[in-house]
Amino acid sequence: MTADLMMAAAQGLLALFLAPGVVGLVRWLKARLQNRRGAPPWQPYRELRKLFQKEVVVSRHASWLFHLAPFVVFASTLAVAVIVPVLAVPLLVDRIGDLLVVVYLLLLGTFFLALAGLDPGSAFGGMGASREVTVAALAEPTLAVAIFALARSAGSTNLGEIAARTTADPLSAVSPGHLLAFAALFIVMLAETGRLPVDNPATHLELTMIHEAMVLEYSGRYLALIEWAAALKFLVFFILLGNLFVPWGLARALTLEAVMTAVGVFAVKVVVLAVAVAVLETRVAKLRLFRVPELLSASFVLALLAVTSSFLLR
Amino acid sequence: MDATFSQLAMLGSSLMLIFGLILLWRRRVPAYINAFTGQSVALAGVAGATGYFGTESELYWVAAFVLLLKGLVIPSLLRRMGRRFGSERELDPYVNTATSLLLAGLLVLFGYAVMRPLVVTSRLPTRASMALAMGLILVSLFVIVTRKKALTQVVGFLMLENGIALLAILGTYGIPLIVELGVFLDALLGFLVMQIFVYRIHETFETIDVEQLSRLRH
Repeated sequence: MTADLMMAAAQGLLALFLAPGVVGLVRWLKARLQNRRGAPPWQPYRELRKLFQKEVVVSRHASWLFHLAPFVVFASTLAVAVIVPVLAVPLLVDRIGDLLVVVYLLLLGTFFLALAGLDPGSAFGGMGASREVTVAALAEPTLAVAIFALARSAGSTNLGEIAARTTADPLSAVSPGHLLAFAALFIVMLAETGRLPVDNPATHLELTMIHEAMVLEYSGRYLALIEWAAALKFLVFFILLGNLFVPWGLARALTLEAVMTAVGVFAVKVVVLAVAVAVLETRVAKLRLFRVPELLSASFVLALLAVTSSFLLR
Repeated sequence: MDATFSQLAMLGSSLMLIFGLILLWRRRVPAYINAFTGQSVALAGVAGATGYFGTESELYWVAAFVLLLKGLVIPSLLRRMGRRFGSERELDPYVNTATSLLLAGLLVLFGYAVMRPLVVTSRLPTRASMALAMGLILVSLFVIVTRKKALTQVVGFLMLENGIALLAILGTYGIPLIVELGVFLDALLGFLVMQIFVYRIHETFETIDVEQLSRLRH
C-alpha cells in the first residue's frame, strides 16, 4: 500500500522533472537534423529557472482569471501525469481515474488556457484562443475514441488495466485496431501539443501560431508554469503512446530490479518517440490553418475505424 | 494458426482501406499513384497470405500477377499520365475534404452493417476483414462520384477494382485462375480505354476537369 503510493508519487515526479528535458531533446535532435548545432537538451531547464526568477508583468485589463489559469493548467496536467501508467502497473492510483478522466483533465487545462488568452483582451490572445478551441474540439474526441478502441479490446477503461491486458496478449498489439488507434493518437499528439504540421513550436512571430499566441501575455513564473505544463503534456502523450500501445517493460511487481528495468525501457521509448517527432517535424511543412480540421477529421476517422474493428474482432 | 491468419488478413485489409482514404485527404497526383501502388502491394500480400494459410497454390500466381500488373505496369502508366496532367490538382471537389473523410468513415460503418449477416454466419477466419473490403469498395465509389478530375476518378476506379479483388480473395479463397486472369485483362483494358478518354478530354477542353463535359450539351 505505502510502496504503491510512493511509486505513484515517484513516477509523477519523474514525469514532471523529465518533461522539459524531453522537449529539449526534440529541439536538439531537430537542430542536428537541420545541420545546426542547437542548444543542449537541458536548455529548457535553464529557461525555466530564468523565468521563475523574473518579475511578472500583468496587463491592467487582466482579471483574477489570468492569475488563476497557470495554476489550473499546471495542476491538471500534473494530475494526468500521476494517473497515467509511467513505470508500473497496476497501481492503486489507477483507480482514481480512467481514460475519461485523463481526457477531461487535459481539456480542463486547454479550456483555462483559452480563457486566459481571451482575458487580457489582446488581439493575439483572442486569435490564439479561438484557434486552440477549434483544434481541441476536434482533437479531444479523437483522443477519447482512440483510447476507447484500446479499452474495448482490453474490456476496461482503466489505463493500467489496458496496459496489463495488452502485455498478457501480445498478438493484440499488432491488431489493426491498435495500429489505427496509434496513428490517430499520434496525430492528436501533434495537434494537442502544438507540434509542426499543426502549429510551429519554434516561433513567436507567426500570424498562424496557436499556442504561442495564447500565452503571449504571460511572463515570469506564470509563463514558466505554462511552459512546464506544456512540456509535461507532451511527455504525457509520449507515455500514452509508449505504454498503452507497447506496454512491455512496465514493472508488474514493485521490486527494485523490475523498476530499474522499467526506467530503462521507458527511457528507450521516450527517445524513440522523440526521434520520430524530430524527423517528422524536419520533413513536413506547416499546414495551412484551414487544412488543420481536415487532418484532424482524418485522424478521427482512423480512431473510428479502430473502434469498429476492435468491436468486430471480439 | 487461424488467429494469426485472421490478424494478417485484417491488417492487410486495413492497410488497403487506409491507402484508399489517402485519396480523399491528399490533393497531388503523385500521392494518389503512390497510394494505389501501396494498396496493390498490400493486396498481393493478402493474396499470398491466403494462399499460404488456405493452402491454395493458385493464389501465389494471383499475388504475382497483382504485383506485376497493379504494382508495376499500371502505376508506371499512371505516372506517365501524372507527368502530363499532374499540375492539375484536386482543389475543389464536390464534397470538401473534411466532410468526405467523415462520410468515408460512415461508409465503412455502413459496410460493416451490410456485411454483418455474412460475418455472423461465416466460419472463415477471414470473415472479419470482408467488411473492410466492402468499406473499401464503398469509399472508392465515393471517390469516383465526388471528385472532378478524370485522373482521380481513374485511380478511384482502380481502387474499386482492388476492393472487389480483395473481397473475392477473402470470401472464396480465390476464384479459378482463368477467371482471375480474365478479370486482370479486363481491368487492364478498362484502364487503357480510360486513359484514352482522359487524353481526349484534355484535348477537347485543355483540362481534365470532367465538370467541363456538361458543356457538350450546348
